[in-house]
Amino acid sequence: MSVKYTPVQWNRNKWIYDGVMLAGVAAFLWIFLYITPEVLSYEPAINPQIHNARAFGACAFVMLTIILCIGPAARLNRRFLPLLYNRRHFGVMTTFVAITHAGYILNWYFAFSSSNKYVGLLYANSSFGQIAGFPFELFGIFALICLLVLATTSHDFWLKFLTPPVWKRLHYLIYAAYFSVAAHISLGILQDQQNHVFTAMFLVGAAAVIVLHLAAWWSERGDAAARDGAWIKVARPEAFREGFAKITRLPNGDRVAVYLMEGQLSAISNACAHQNGPLGEGRVIDCLVTCPWHGFQYDVRSGRSPAPFTEMVPTYRLRLEDGVVEVHPDANPPGTYVDPLPLPEATPLPQGEPA
Amino acid sequence: MSDKPFFVGYLPVPGPLRIFLLSVCVVLIGGLAAAGYIMGVTQDDPGPGAFRFDYGRQTVTGVVEMTPYPVIHVTKGNDRIKPGDSFMMTAGGKSGVDSRAMPLNGQLAEVSGIILERGDLYMMQLRGGRNGLKAAEGDAPEIVAEPQGRWQLTGEICDGKCLAGAMRPGRGLAHKACANLCLLGDVPPIFVSSQPVLGEEFLLVTGPDGTRLPRAAYDYVAQFITAEGEITRRGDLLVWEIDTDTIKVTP
Repeated sequence: MSVKYTPVQWNRNKWIYDGVMLAGVAAFLWIFLYITPEVLSYEPAINPQIHNARAFGACAFVMLTIILCIGPAARLNRRFLPLLYNRRHFGVMTTFVAITHAGYILNWYFAFSSSNKYVGLLYANSSFGQIAGFPFELFGIFALICLLVLATTSHDFWLKFLTPPVWKRLHYLIYAAYFSVAAHISLGILQDQQNHVFTAMFLVGAAAVIVLHLAAWWSERGDAAARDGAWIKVARPEAFREGFAKITRLPNGDRVAVYLMEGQLSAISNACAHQNGPLGEGRVIDCLVTCPWHGFQYDVRSGRSPAPFTEMVPTYRLRLEDGVVEVHPDANPPGTYVDPLPLPEATPLPQGEPA
Repeated sequence: MSDKPFFVGYLPVPGPLRIFLLSVCVVLIGGLAAAGYIMGVTQDDPGPGAFRFDYGRQTVTGVVEMTPYPVIHVTKGNDRIKPGDSFMMTAGGKSGVDSRAMPLNGQLAEVSGIILERGDLYMMQLRGGRNGLKAAEGDAPEIVAEPQGRWQLTGEICDGKCLAGAMRPGRGLAHKACANLCLLGDVPPIFVSSQPVLGEEFLLVTGPDGTRLPRAAYDYVAQFITAEGEITRRGDLLVWEIDTDTIKVTP
């Protein structure tokens, strides 16, 4: 959270994050580029330009796969949340790796011709009516454009300018990019493989992305209330724990985080104003709800960030009905103060009975 | 809702989470390194084709023939290229030498350049201008075309230059756009037969009646196909006039 834009608000964890990711990418590329030609010992060798293009292309695919696995992994196991913290930087790295791959391809396969290489890229293969031999380069171009859009708009300036919901929808382009990369690989290099190890690794990577997303969806599927406009049951009072939230899905698909703080309940939107991070998966730190993604903080009673910060999220009304905490599905405007709902005193258990 | 360590980016990492994150870092870096190694060492052999710079510049004399792609039938060779050999010619990059060869069609010429060689297939990348191709003194012997009948062949259409070693690998669907660009630039196309034909694996492929490879065939470049056409022997080179109506993609 910030009151001014700086290119990157560095902190120690971000340096470590970027350092680890860079080390991984450097290891991949260095081994692929400099170790494997010695191991292969083909005489004559694969053209260095083609070898390099393959190295950067394969690296970009692996990086994209990791990026898309981080989200569902963090939803399944919160210990992976720190990997989400600076994922944008990893995404920008991926874009640079993908651009390098495209550069090698463009300056090798499409160079040395009397045609402009960019024009050649678009017209050299026009077999659109067939699967085998389809100009798979187009899928690569589309994926690269998606990655460029995502990298360009990854800064918080764009988040604020576009508003979080629009920004979030825009960044779902990562899925379009991944599917496009999968098509690019499937109709391209996989068609020529005699050794199918890369094919197997490609399938394992793509399967990991699909399975993790399905598993995260399965684990989070909730029984949204069917009645529209009615109060929605959240939980019994004893189910709440001090400093933590219970998340309820509303009929319109939105989620509400109901927090217990100092013995009183308050409800705010589950979507952080920063990047729609899951506020209900955070916790109260220094009397403020703290987002698990980037640490943005809010007063749980008003949905407002502490001064001088200006972020706000919607709040919700709560009531206690028949011993069950309920939330009204109509959101208050962001930053609206709502009196917290005091919890009834716990009834002491009779002596001698198990707790 | 849990008491598990809670990570906030701008605060120190909670102690119990550090070991887990350290393990993730090691797995991530190790996994990427391993992926780079495995993906790198499982690339296929691109085959034997290559520029033979080690042979040095080759200069020979022979009869130029437009098939319609430019071929030279050697009459006066050297240590490596013998009289009676026939080979295709190309220019630097993705360009042919048609404009230089056409005025010399049927005439004796001296050619000079670098050889590209892949097994029995070889091609010469000529030097620029008259240094690469110029008329030679003497009478040109007549090149007799020997019809070999109609054949059904199975294999792949490639551009001759990349296949011969300008690119490694220089064939396959991943290389299709590059091959098409070469063919559009008048580099001679080659058919790589799955079975030897009259003792040859590589045939110069053209359209019917001495025309260039029809555009209809471009959709099938780099695919495994079966097609029919007349084969003619010109010097020691086989030329296959593909009938595009008979092309079928072979599973």
